[in-house]
Amino acid sequence: MDRLFKLPDFGNDELDAAARLICSLAVSMAMMSVLFVAAVGVAVPEMLPRALGITGTVTFACAGSVALVRRGRIHAAGNLLVFVLWAAITAGVVTAGGVGAPIFIGYIIVIMVSGLLWQGTMRLIVTVFCVLTAALIAFAQQNALLPPPMDYSPAARFGVYLFFFIIAAILQRVSAYNTRELLKKAQSSEARYRSLLENIPATTYINGLDLQSSFEYVSPQIEKLLGYPRINFTLDPLFWTTILHPEDAERVLEASRQSARTLEPFAMEYRVIAGDGRVVWLKDESVLVRDENGAPSYWLGVWTDITNLKKAEEEQAELIHRMTRRTVQLQTAADVARAATSILDIEELLAQAADLIQKHFECYYVGVFLMDESGEWAVLRAATGEIGRQMLETGHRLKVEDSSMIGWCIKHRQARIALDVGADAVRFANPFLPLTRSEIALPLIAHGNLIGAMTIQSEKPSAFSRVDVTALQAMADLVANAIENARLFTERVLLTQELELQNEELERFTYTVSHDLRSPLVTIRGFLGYLRQDVIAGNMKRFNEDMARIANAVDKMQTLLNELLALSRIGRIANPPEDVPFDAIVWEALNLLSGPLDAAKTRVKVAAEFPTVRVDRLRIVEVVQNLVSNAAKFMGNQAEPLIEIGVQGTDTDGKPIFYVRDNGIGIEPQYHERIFGLFNRLDPSIEGTGIGLTLVKRIIETHGGRIWVESERGKGAAFFFTLPAA
Amino acid sequence: MIGEPILVMLVEDNVDHAELVIRTMEEHRIANRVRHFLDGQSALDYLFRRGEYAEQEKSPRPHVILLDLRLPRVDGIDVLKAIKESDELKSIPVVVLTTSEAEKDVARAYYNHANSYLVKPVGFEEFKKMMDDLGFYWLGWNTNPHIPD
Repeated sequence: MDRLFKLPDFGNDELDAAARLICSLAVSMAMMSVLFVAAVGVAVPEMLPRALGITGTVTFACAGSVALVRRGRIHAAGNLLVFVLWAAITAGVVTAGGVGAPIFIGYIIVIMVSGLLWQGTMRLIVTVFCVLTAALIAFAQQNALLPPPMDYSPAARFGVYLFFFIIAAILQRVSAYNTRELLKKAQSSEARYRSLLENIPATTYINGLDLQSSFEYVSPQIEKLLGYPRINFTLDPLFWTTILHPEDAERVLEASRQSARTLEPFAMEYRVIAGDGRVVWLKDESVLVRDENGAPSYWLGVWTDITNLKKAEEEQAELIHRMTRRTVQLQTAADVARAATSILDIEELLAQAADLIQKHFECYYVGVFLMDESGEWAVLRAATGEIGRQMLETGHRLKVEDSSMIGWCIKHRQARIALDVGADAVRFANPFLPLTRSEIALPLIAHGNLIGAMTIQSEKPSAFSRVDVTALQAMADLVANAIENARLFTERVLLTQELELQNEELERFTYTVSHDLRSPLVTIRGFLGYLRQDVIAGNMKRFNEDMARIANAVDKMQTLLNELLALSRIGRIANPPEDVPFDAIVWEALNLLSGPLDAAKTRVKVAAEFPTVRVDRLRIVEVVQNLVSNAAKFMGNQAEPLIEIGVQGTDTDGKPIFYVRDNGIGIEPQYHERIFGLFNRLDPSIEGTGIGLTLVKRIIETHGGRIWVESERGKGAAFFFTLPAA
Repeated sequence: MIGEPILVMLVEDNVDHAELVIRTMEEHRIANRVRHFLDGQSALDYLFRRGEYAEQEKSPRPHVILLDLRLPRVDGIDVLKAIKESDELKSIPVVVLTTSEAEKDVARAYYNHANSYLVKPVGFEEFKKMMDDLGFYWLGWNTNPHIPD
């Protein structure tokens, strides 16, 4: 029968089943009708026309239905078949005179067919329609509106029944076949889907709407993925929450609660702990599945293992981070190197290096300390930002001992790293830098000499890694060498300047000496010649005059030579410094000068109290002697020559300031510098070699002091000088 | 030259040297008059007729200037510069007479238009001979310019 009526495939199990039913029914009814008519014609020929009418109509309708099915119009075919069946039966019942006619049971067939073909309301309508029709016929028969009921012989009655029995049997067979087909199909498709679900490289699950409940289904891949038996998930509602990674648990649970509330799809990446303790990254995506009426039914989800992906991502991120860091370090190193090679001023170099490191490493504060002369303190020499400026202003310094990071680092000549220094007891609490959470202290070592240390601080708790320390130490070495180079360069510049000065002075010295020694020689030789003339002429007066000139010139030469000798001794021959009360020095000098001072009736006023100084005693006596004799020399026409010696406070370094003041002719301001120059003399009418003040200045300077003059022409002069206090 | 008094200006801080110069000049009748100045400042005051030398009669122009280089207050080179930068004075011959043989001094003197550079000889005869020749040359053989008063 199937082969005979090869039906088109509608691609839908329900439609296929309906088509099969319609065609089977139509064909069997048509065949049955032919057999039935033949049977009627033989058994009860008087009923043949009626039977022929009914079965003819039915057969015709069956052919129409089949044709409609072949065109794919299954619903129309079904409707036609049911309607014609109903109509034929109704006509049969009415013509047979009422409900007693055996054809009446045909209504059952109509209801059954409609039940098999349709669902829901249509099935109900057909049933109700059939019942109503039957009821109407019964009513009409009751009220004798119908022709008198036909008289059926038991055989005829059986024949009609048999017709319908066969139809029912066919129906039963077709519907059983259909059910079996559907089941088979459903089974094979479920097996397909299951095998799909259980073989894809991801775990699928079904979860009820109530999150407190356990999983309804978890695909077996979970056992391979996490090493837990499936049953754990489907039996224990809390099992899933116990394997979440502690750091992720909270956000995962929150997100799933959120999804349960909003019914929005859930998608998240998180970590779980596998049975063997591995950390597995899962990508969890689930969607809400609704039933045919649109009501939420269950969550269908997929877990994908993204551990490798995550690992790769992390590795890549780490790689990028490291590369960025390395690039920054190289950049900084290059900048620092450039600064190190191009800047020879130490302060500028330090400031630049600190700024560069702070900028590139995005840290909070960078400070550079250099050792002081005593080697006990590390003094802040460069620091970044406003904080740095304030600390520099206060002269921030740290003792070289274990009480600070810098102190420790210098003492041990080692880099020290403190992450979250708040917990590190070693760190010196610095009120200027309250935000520091990590700190690196790096020693600055140049040519094996420790010259200081550098501190780099960050607000982040673990801002530095060991790689950073290596890079930063390399930079610190660079800075240290640059500092040393700058130091050497500065030293060289100073040395060169000093040499140039000395050279210049030497030149002036030889020049002056040749001039000033030659000068008395010219006088001596010149007047020696005149001496002879004086003797020959017997001019004793001029002889004596000329002799005096010669003697004077010789004296001059001697003084000059003595003073030159004294000058050359400074710096070469130094007596060890001793603590001397300054008044002792003053009186010693005044004793040496008592003769000339008395002769000129010069009054000397000496202050009552003097501090004690730490000096080369003889040299300082020379200084006071020179200054006092100078003062006495330049008195001019002063009627009451007065020289005052005293002390007047201290300078910024705490050195006492002494003075020698006179009321003589004074010195015009433009000569205040020149008077200290070698062989510079202002007044030719006053005896002198031009060495005295140079000598004084040199002696004061070798003591680390300073000398200057305050004076105006005609208003006396005051020479001030400083000396180290004892 | 006849009838015209010859005036030599001597700028010398060393009084003994000045005495030597003046004495030899007098002996050799080189100059009728020598005006001696002890420092550069007073020499310039005379030449530029300032202060006590403001009156023209009291400060006639010298025929030649003998200038020492190392002078107090205003240095010899500065005196030379001032003279050679002045339109009125630059024609007066300036003879540098010094004890310095330093190359630097010689160069600076000529650079500033000194007319001659003489080093004071050590020795009586040499000194006299030089002063003699100097007189002959600058006040005898040499034709001096007319210096307007």
